[in-house]
Amino acid sequence: MTEAVAVTENNEMEVEADVDLSIAENVIQRYKDIPGNLMPVLQGIQDEYGYVPRIVVDYVAERLNVYPSQIYGVLTFYAQFHLKPRGKYIIRVCMGTACHVLGAERIKESFYDRIQIGHGETTGDRRFTFELVACLGACGMAPLAMVNDETYGKMTVQKVEEIVKEYSALPL
Amino acid sequence: MVTLTIDDKQVAVEKDTTIYDAAKKAGIHIPILCHDKKLKPFGACRMCLVEVEQMKGRLIPACTTPVTEGMIVRTSTPPVDKARKLVLELLLVHHPLDCPVCDKGGDCELQNLAYDYKVNSNRLTDEKFHHEIDYNNPLIERDQNRCILCGKCVRICDEIVSRGALTFINRGIKTKIGTEFDGPLSCEFCGSCISVCPVGALLARPFKFKSRFWAMTNKKSVCGYCGTGCSVTLGVKDNKVLTTIYDENQGFHNGQLCVRGRFGYQFISSDKRLKTPLIRKNGTLVETDWDEALATVAEKLKLSASKSAAIATPRMTNEELQLLKQLMLQHVGTKNIDHSAGYAHEAVTEGLAKSIGVAASTATIPDIQKSDMILVLKSDVYETHPVVGFEINMAVKNKNVSLHLISDKRGKLSRLPGANLLLCKPGSEVTLLNSMVNVIMEEKKAALDTIPPDFVTALSAFTPAKVATECGVTADEIRTLALSYAAADKAVILLTTGLAYPGADAQLAHAASNLAILCDKLGKEGSGIIALQEKNNSQGAIDVGFVPAQGGANCHNILDGCVDGSITSLFIAGENPIVSYPAGDRIKKSLEAVDFLVVADLFLTETAQLADVVLPVSSYAEKEGTFTATDRRIQKITPVIPPVGKSLPEFQLYSKLIKLLGGQPALTPADAFSTISAYSSISYSELGEGGVFVKSEFKPTLIVPKTSNVNIEKGKFSLLTGAALYHCGTMSLHGEGTVAVCSVGYVEISRSDAEALKIADGTDVKLTSSSGAITLKARVSPRMAAGVLFTPYHFAANSVNTIWSGSIVTGVTITK
Repeated sequence: MTEAVAVTENNEMEVEADVDLSIAENVIQRYKDIPGNLMPVLQGIQDEYGYVPRIVVDYVAERLNVYPSQIYGVLTFYAQFHLKPRGKYIIRVCMGTACHVLGAERIKESFYDRIQIGHGETTGDRRFTFELVACLGACGMAPLAMVNDETYGKMTVQKVEEIVKEYSALPL
Repeated sequence: MVTLTIDDKQVAVEKDTTIYDAAKKAGIHIPILCHDKKLKPFGACRMCLVEVEQMKGRLIPACTTPVTEGMIVRTSTPPVDKARKLVLELLLVHHPLDCPVCDKGGDCELQNLAYDYKVNSNRLTDEKFHHEIDYNNPLIERDQNRCILCGKCVRICDEIVSRGALTFINRGIKTKIGTEFDGPLSCEFCGSCISVCPVGALLARPFKFKSRFWAMTNKKSVCGYCGTGCSVTLGVKDNKVLTTIYDENQGFHNGQLCVRGRFGYQFISSDKRLKTPLIRKNGTLVETDWDEALATVAEKLKLSASKSAAIATPRMTNEELQLLKQLMLQHVGTKNIDHSAGYAHEAVTEGLAKSIGVAASTATIPDIQKSDMILVLKSDVYETHPVVGFEINMAVKNKNVSLHLISDKRGKLSRLPGANLLLCKPGSEVTLLNSMVNVIMEEKKAALDTIPPDFVTALSAFTPAKVATECGVTADEIRTLALSYAAADKAVILLTTGLAYPGADAQLAHAASNLAILCDKLGKEGSGIIALQEKNNSQGAIDVGFVPAQGGANCHNILDGCVDGSITSLFIAGENPIVSYPAGDRIKKSLEAVDFLVVADLFLTETAQLADVVLPVSSYAEKEGTFTATDRRIQKITPVIPPVGKSLPEFQLYSKLIKLLGGQPALTPADAFSTISAYSSISYSELGEGGVFVKSEFKPTLIVPKTSNVNIEKGKFSLLTGAALYHCGTMSLHGEGTVAVCSVGYVEISRSDAEALKIADGTDVKLTSSSGAITLKARVSPRMAAGVLFTPYHFAANSVNTIWSGSIVTGVTITK
C-alpha cells in the first residue's frame, strides 16, 4: 500500500484539512519494523502535532495495519494523549490538598476571569490550554501553577495576572 | 493428558485445557458471561470463579486457568456462590432493569444468572448510565447502558471477523464499548457481535419487538445463500421466519454467520412472494390456478419436445434438480438442460473433472484450518464466501497458517497479519500459476516421479523472468511463492467460481490442479483444491448432472436457440438471467423471442415478468431435501414453515408435471435421492446434522492450461466483475437486511485514478464499454490498483450486464 493519501470521508474535519501527513509518515518510518510500535508512533505523532489529529489516526491505522478503533481505544485509555489541538502554553493549576487549603479555587477562578476557558479547554487562538491537576508534587510551594515546564509557586491573584500578561506577549 | 478432580469427579483432559473446558467436558456447568468456545479466554466477568484446593486463599477464574495434574476443583461452594452473587450485584448496579421491553428477555444470560443466584435485591446503588443508543444503522442497535463489558463483541470482531469495528474506549468507570472516535457503527454488519452478546446491549434491529424469545420455535436448517453450506437456526412464530438464532455448537463454523445468513432471511416471509400461479392472457399476467398453469406448461413442453430447454438455479435441492432433469430428459424428450449460465460451473465440470478426475473440490472447508499454507486465487473469497473467510482469518491468526494471495485487487484477506499478496494484472492468473509450475519443475521440487515431457515443454516458456511484466509482479515473487508452495507440508488452494467470475474457468482450475498434482497436495488432510461455488447447491447441480445431455445445447446455445427458433419452449427454474447473466440485452431479446417461456420462482423477477406462465415455488425454509455444499458435504433440510400462499415446493411441482406427461416420479425426496448415482454410497436416512461428505477418488492428470489474452486498449480501464459481500446472486435483493446495507451497485476505483480524474467518493460516474453505458456511484477504495475498476453484479438497476458480455476483463472508459 503505497498510496499515501489519507481517507477523507469525515465531514467534521475542516479543522484538520491542513494536516501534513508527511510528518506522521516520518514518525512511522522511525518505528516501522518494531513489533508493538503503536505507542511510540502515537507518542511521536503527539509530539510533532501537539495532539493526535483524526486524519492521522486513519493514516496510522492503514500504514501499521491496525484497526482505527483500536488506536482510538489506546488514545482514550491513556491520559497523555490528546485528540483536540492544544495551546502553545499549557497552564496547569494544582488542585491537590495543600493547594486547595491555600486557595487553589481562587487561583483557578482568576485564571478563568482572564482567559475565559475552563478545564481541558483551549483558547481560540491556540495560545493557552487550561488544565486542573490533582497534585504536582510540590506541596511546599502551594498554591501551585505550571506553564509548560515552568513552575510558579506561592500563587496569588496578582501573579496570575502577571503570568497571563507575560505569555500573552510572547509570539504564537 | 492431565487428570484432575472437579466436584469429586475424575476428569482426564489434554494439557493446556482450562478448568472451564475441563468441567464442561465432565458435564459440569460453570456459569460464565464472557466466554464463547470460538474465542480466546479473556477473564472479564468473574462469574466463573471456583475454588482450587491447591490454590487456597483466593478464588480462581476457571476460564483462564489451565489445569494441572491432581488439581482439586470445587465449582459451587458457599464462598464461590457468595462471590458470584456479588459479581451479579455489581453488574446490576449499572445494568438497567428494563427486561420487560428488552428483546433479549428470555434469552439473556445476565437475566438467567440473576434468577439462578436469586439476586432479588441489591446492596449497592449508583446512578445508571446515560449513554446514547446507536440507531444509526439499519441492522445493529447498540445500547451501551445495558453493556456488561464482557468484551465478546470486541473479540469476535477482531479474532474471527477481522474487522475490528468495536473496541474498549476510555478507562475505569467510563469504559465502554465504542467505535473509532465513538461514532456510529460502520462495519460489515455480519452481526457476529449480536450473536455473542450475553445481554441486550447489541440487538438485531430487524427482529426488534417482533416476538418474545420463548414464543418462537427454533428450527434448524441450512443457509440458502452461498455454497459454504452453513447451518442456521431459524426462529419461527405463526408460520413466519422472524430471525436467525445463534448456536455455538452448530456446524463446522460453530454457528458463525455472515451478513447474508444472519440478516438476509426476510425473503422467506416477504410480502412480495408469489402466492398464486400466473398466466399470460391478452398480453398481461393474470392469476390462475395450478391445474390450468400446469396443464399449459405440460402441453407446451410436450409440443416443443426436443425443442424445449430448461435452465435451473443451483439453489434447488438435489432431489428437485433430479426430478426436473427426469422431466426434461425422459418425459419432454430434450437434451437441453443447464445451469449457472453454462460457464460458472466450468472450473469444476471441465477443469477439475479433467485434471483431478472428479468434478468436485478435493479438500473440505475444515481442511483450511488444518493446513500449513493457504493459496487464494482472487481475494474475493471473503466477499463470496464470508464464513470461509472467517475460517481463513482463524487459520492465519490462531494456527499460524501462512496466507498467500494471487489477486487482481486487494481485499480484507490481504490485510491479515503476514499475508503475502501478489497483486497481478487482471486476467494474468493462469500465466502466473503456469510460471509457478515452471519454477517447481525447473528447480526439481516436484514430488511427482515422472512428468510427461510434452507438459514440461509446453510450460518451459513460462519462466518467471518472461511472464513477470505481463503479470505485473516480480519474477522473484513468483519464484518465492512457487518454492514455498512446494516446500509446504500441507497446502490448500482456494478459488471462487460464480456468474460474475468468468475468470474462474476450466483453465484456472487446470493451472491450480497442476500445482497440487506436481507437489502431491491432493487428497491428504489439510491439502487440496477448493472451488468455492456460488450457490448453496452448486455442487449438487453438478453431481446430479444438470448439464447438457450428450448432444444437448448448453445455456449459451439455449438462449441463442430462442432467437433462431431451435428452442421454442424454455423452462427457467429460479434463475434471473436478465439481471445476472452477461450481456443482459441479448438475454432479454432471447426471452422475448422464445414462443413459450415458463418461470418458476419465489418472486416476480425481471425474467418472470416476461413469462407466459409463472409458477410460484417455495423457499428452502418450506421444503424437504438435500443441498450439497461446495466441499461436497450433503446436508438435509426439512420444512420449518408451510409453503407460503399457494406456492409449491418444486419437488411437488415437477412430480405433478411428470405425472401429467405420463411418467412416474419418485414419491419422496428420499426416493429421489436414492436415484442420484453420484450419491449411491450414501443413504438419505443417515444424513444427520452437519451432513455427510461424499468421498471422491482422484485420477490426477497434468493438463496444459491455455492462457487468456487480455487486451485492454490503451487509455481504457480494466473492469472486473464480482460479488459484493452483502449479496449472493440476485436472491439477497429480496432480503430486507442485506438490501438495507447495500441497495445499489457501485464501482470501486483506486485512489490515484480518482485523484487524477477528480472523482469524489459517492459521486455518480458513467462507465462505457463497447456494448453500452451505465451510471454507478464511485467508491474510492484502497483495494484497487491503478487502472482497474471493480463492480458487483447483483443489481437490476444499472445492471452491469449492460456493459459486460462475459469476458474476464472488460475495457471501459469512465467519465463524470
